[in-house]
Amino acid sequence: MSKLLEIALGLVTGIGGFLEAGSLSTSAQAGAAFGFQLVWPIVLGTVCIAFLVEMGGRLAAVSRHTLPDAMRERFGVRFFSVVLVAVVLVSFLVLASEIGGISLALQLATGIRFQWWAPVVALAVWLLLWAHNFGLVEKGASLLGLVTLVFVVAAFRLHVPVNELGAHALPSLPQHDGARYWFMAVSIIGASVSPYLFYFYSAGAIEDEWDESYLGVNRVIAGIGMGFGGGIAVAVLAGAAMVFHSRGIQIDRYEQIPLLLAEPLGRWGFILFVASLGIACFGAALEIALQIAYLVAQGFGWKWGENLKPSEAARFTLVYTIAILLAGLLIFTGIDPLKLTIFSMALTALSLPITVVPLLILMNDPQYVGEHGNHWIANAAVLFISIVACIVAVVAIPLQLLGGS
Amino acid sequence: MELGHAVLDQQVRDRKGELMGKVDGIVLELRGSKAPRVARLVIGGGTAARRIHPRFADWLLGWRRRWGPKDDQPVEIPWSQVLKIGIDVKVDLDAERTSAWAWEAWVRDHIIGRIPGA
Amino acid sequence: MKPSEVRFEDLIGKVVRNPYGRPIGRIEDVRVEPDGEDYLVTEFLLGPMERWSRVLAFIGELTTLRALGIGKERRLRPFPWHWIDLTDPARPRLEAEWAERAERAERAERAEEAE
Repeated sequence: MSKLLEIALGLVTGIGGFLEAGSLSTSAQAGAAFGFQLVWPIVLGTVCIAFLVEMGGRLAAVSRHTLPDAMRERFGVRFFSVVLVAVVLVSFLVLASEIGGISLALQLATGIRFQWWAPVVALAVWLLLWAHNFGLVEKGASLLGLVTLVFVVAAFRLHVPVNELGAHALPSLPQHDGARYWFMAVSIIGASVSPYLFYFYSAGAIEDEWDESYLGVNRVIAGIGMGFGGGIAVAVLAGAAMVFHSRGIQIDRYEQIPLLLAEPLGRWGFILFVASLGIACFGAALEIALQIAYLVAQGFGWKWGENLKPSEAARFTLVYTIAILLAGLLIFTGIDPLKLTIFSMALTALSLPITVVPLLILMNDPQYVGEHGNHWIANAAVLFISIVACIVAVVAIPLQLLGGS
Repeated sequence: MELGHAVLDQQVRDRKGELMGKVDGIVLELRGSKAPRVARLVIGGGTAARRIHPRFADWLLGWRRRWGPKDDQPVEIPWSQVLKIGIDVKVDLDAERTSAWAWEAWVRDHIIGRIPGA
Repeated sequence: MKPSEVRFEDLIGKVVRNPYGRPIGRIEDVRVEPDGEDYLVTEFLLGPMERWSRVLAFIGELTTLRALGIGKERRLRPFPWHWIDLTDPARPRLEAEWAERAERAERAERAEEAE
């Protein structure tokens, strides 16, 4: 496949696959609560994930190792198991959030409560992975995921003041409700810097057999793909600011969010919202389930591969099966999907140092990346954002829990 | 070369290039007045678990005895059968003929294989 | 496991002490070289005693910190294989005849670092 085609496909995947339950809910809630003020965590988070995704791709292309594989080799099984447990736990909660999102979309479409949809959704996600033709599924889901661009359209229709948006790309202090502000900021960063994104991207680069010649392609896809994706999240926040903040309405239920599109776009807005939520979360659910399986299988040296028949990679298959089963079960219990989503995002931010520092160390180890090591700016940016996000999360999460979300 | 750096926790591939597991352990033979020699590589059988914590390994092994394949022995690869050490460790064996895939086969036969379409 | 055998992964992290019981360092790795059909251990690579400085050594490898002047390259001290007595693998000891040599080398290294 020509490199240009690869770039195009990669961009589509990056843009179409960026928005999911986490970025949608956190951006919408933040827009409703604080207007345009919380654009800066989206910017920070997007910059961070763009760096990390690029690193994941570079690691795969140069070292020919996937991230979990390299981590186990470099740090030994003990440290690896700590990272494994942390990432699997957090990823599992995010997976459940995505299944919750799809179920909610179906509730909005049909009126049947989301928890009854959970088993159906889980089965559908599982079936698509079981069919082991993930390349097709992924490209299809990402292409369909471009429907999330409707949020950008809506933002234009709502006449979002773009210069005001731009002004808030830099961090600012809250004028009211400090605890909630920082909790939201941290959740937004957690939503943008989801580990599954760079783990999955790295595995994809190995499956596609990337080598050093793909480093340029990698940079373009990571930078522009994530960049545009972040732009969609900003559009969600801006739309929510226009529709909710101006009226002083807070978002605390998923069912309110469609108004964001319904107001500027009428009935079609509602339909496209349901489609966006469902498709975006579906694509993410597939990737996260696979990523959990990759992490375990690659860390322990088992056979793995998204295009292998289940009987050819039985343990790998078992891992994603159990992950999806449990995630579906969690949503079936009726837990509030919005609360679960926001909380998982905050938890992701909290766990960032553990998930990110090993990758950074690998990216500076000539044994793995040869002369293609990290520029010190990339290290500094990612390290800084991760550590600050973690520290803020340590403070903000308990405060939020005590204050009642 | 440095053993921990270059061999331990590396991916092992058999002579057909199939994934066999990770180097969970390495056994050295002490020979008194002669330099110790690298005797063999070990895959599985609770070796990795022991490195995490011996108690964890005991708990895991107890659980594994009740469930799982009968042939749950670690794969012992004599050093003489190591062909190449590079991106991964290539060995002169057929993974199928070892216990490397005992668990893979067990999961396939008892769980995954029972679902239609596997 | 024959009685003359020892697990390499068990050796890692074990403290090596000199004949007077003073800790010298922790075994971090082992260097092996081919000798005919076999690979033989040539050196034990020892790292710092404190666990936290081992962690810091990892992080110090980040080029950012190096650019800022913090953190330095992880240096492990090589000890020839016959200097270390593994009769009790859980308690490796520096052989008495080499203890003084090791001490002199350590002092020289510290003096060099102080410059």
